[in-house]
Amino acid sequence: MTSPKLTPAQPLPPSTPDLTRQRRIRPGRPRAAAAIGTYLFLVAGFLLTVSPFVLSLMTAIKTPGQFASEPALSLPSPVTGENFLQLFSDDRNFWAPIAVTAQVVVVIVVGQLGFSVLAGYAFARIEFRLRDALFWVYLATLMVPQVVTIIPLYTVLSQLGLRNTFWALVLPFVFGSPYAIFLLREYFRFIPEDLISAARLDGAGTLRILWSIVLPLSRPILATLTIITVVSHWNNFLWPLIITSGRTWQTVTVATAGLQSQYNGNWTLVMAATTVAFAPLLVLFAVFQKNIISSIAITGFK
Amino acid sequence: MASKRARREAGIGYLLLAPSLFGILAFLIFPILVVIWLSLNSWNLLSPAKFVGLENFVRVFQDTAFLRSMTVTVLFVLLVIPLQTALGLFSATLLTRGLPGSGFFRVIYVIPWICAPLALGVVWKWIFAPTGGALNAVLGTNTSWLTDPALALPAVAAVSIWSQVGYVTLFFMAGLSAIPAQILDAARIDGSGPWQTFWLVKLPLLRPTMFFVLVTGIISSFQAFDSIYALTPNGGPQGTTDVIATRIYGEAFQSFNLGRASVMALVLFVLLVAVTLIQQLYFRKRITYDLS
Repeated sequence: MTSPKLTPAQPLPPSTPDLTRQRRIRPGRPRAAAAIGTYLFLVAGFLLTVSPFVLSLMTAIKTPGQFASEPALSLPSPVTGENFLQLFSDDRNFWAPIAVTAQVVVVIVVGQLGFSVLAGYAFARIEFRLRDALFWVYLATLMVPQVVTIIPLYTVLSQLGLRNTFWALVLPFVFGSPYAIFLLREYFRFIPEDLISAARLDGAGTLRILWSIVLPLSRPILATLTIITVVSHWNNFLWPLIITSGRTWQTVTVATAGLQSQYNGNWTLVMAATTVAFAPLLVLFAVFQKNIISSIAITGFK
Repeated sequence: MASKRARREAGIGYLLLAPSLFGILAFLIFPILVVIWLSLNSWNLLSPAKFVGLENFVRVFQDTAFLRSMTVTVLFVLLVIPLQTALGLFSATLLTRGLPGSGFFRVIYVIPWICAPLALGVVWKWIFAPTGGALNAVLGTNTSWLTDPALALPAVAAVSIWSQVGYVTLFFMAGLSAIPAQILDAARIDGSGPWQTFWLVKLPLLRPTMFFVLVTGIISSFQAFDSIYALTPNGGPQGTTDVIATRIYGEAFQSFNLGRASVMALVLFVLLVAVTLIQQLYFRKRITYDLS
């Protein structure tokens, strides 16, 4: 139920100032030697971070012949798309896992966010008797790690005949996430009461208020939650690995793992698959990097 | 009238909660009851489950593979946590010096964090490959990184550190930039050098950030699965990379001992709750540095 990348019982980050506007800690110019030293380390970190991606892409656009006969670091010549063609050929059909994963991500994002918004609003703005007790229960479930629920969920969904179905991939996540509910509740509590009571006087019902007043004011937190849910579920591996078998409902990660063990040593093809697995999120990251970085800082999501 | 309205509002509250409450009951709380029930039964998914009492617990604590996986997990956590914390703190220090380009480096360092750990594991499996792998090509060696029992765990830990340093860096950057400038100015006026300021002023002030990073890091490292599964399938050479999560997976979905796997999952659960409670105790008495 929790997003797979959320660690259980996550404390809130102790301090989350706006990371995009870094204040200079020390006024004045650092000495040139110190600056050069700093840049040397920063560039070393850059190379260490980036080179595995560059090297795997380089391998993905090499011919298998060149890969077998030349050193690993040789530049691709000729540059070829044949690995990608093979990946998307009728035989391997990597389109299928992409389509499955995309559908899973869309359904989970819509369901999880929608239901979490409803619950977050109820906890933040509506008075009812069991509210605080239930909120405590929701918070307690943050402590439950995925590894613990995975065996019982597998047995229960198998008994219900849902193993290896689309429903099995989305059901545990689609009804909302306690962590998202917690964050939304915190956010909704700070919406001015005047706005809500004014709308109520004008005759708006709860859903109307939620839709026309609360949600438009909550765009930043909704964007944050959308991003972390997309990233978590595009990358999710353990649950799809366990609950699916065969090719029909393979997700991208499961298909990549399968390709790697099936064609061990056929690295040009396997690196084409990892490139495809990374690509959508890298594009998303390039477009929304500022939001993503502050999302990580706000939610501490993992 | 007022009470009628209050009752209506309460009704709406329960209605709004209904879907998520169903989800939490069905997919988080019910599974815990099921895993406890499973831990008391012997079941291989095919024949009917048989009640065996505490036999699974006895067997699991005599199981050398499980005991080894506990040791492996502790070693993995001990390798990953200190190194990723130190490296994250170091790069955060470099990135908060106000040098031009710091924002660019910060963005780059986070990239591995958003990528699927499984796919990263597959890429690194190629990098570590004895023939045709990038690492041996760079170093001019011929080492079997992932099949040598002495090297497999450090290699697996290195990949984990590599993918998480950028994330840790972000939190230390936030912590460092939250330190009020007056404190640093005061330290400088008192004649404190950069090294002294770091150890005696910044590090103590980073205590809350440090604890957050350590606790979340420990909790997630105890559950590490994806990249380890990709790098060293079936527990690695002589089980040297068989952490608790891969052991549970093997016991449940390769040996089909669901009862014993449930016991292992419960042991991990208790460990993680203990880590969380220790953290709660710490946060309750954490020191704040209020300047007002």
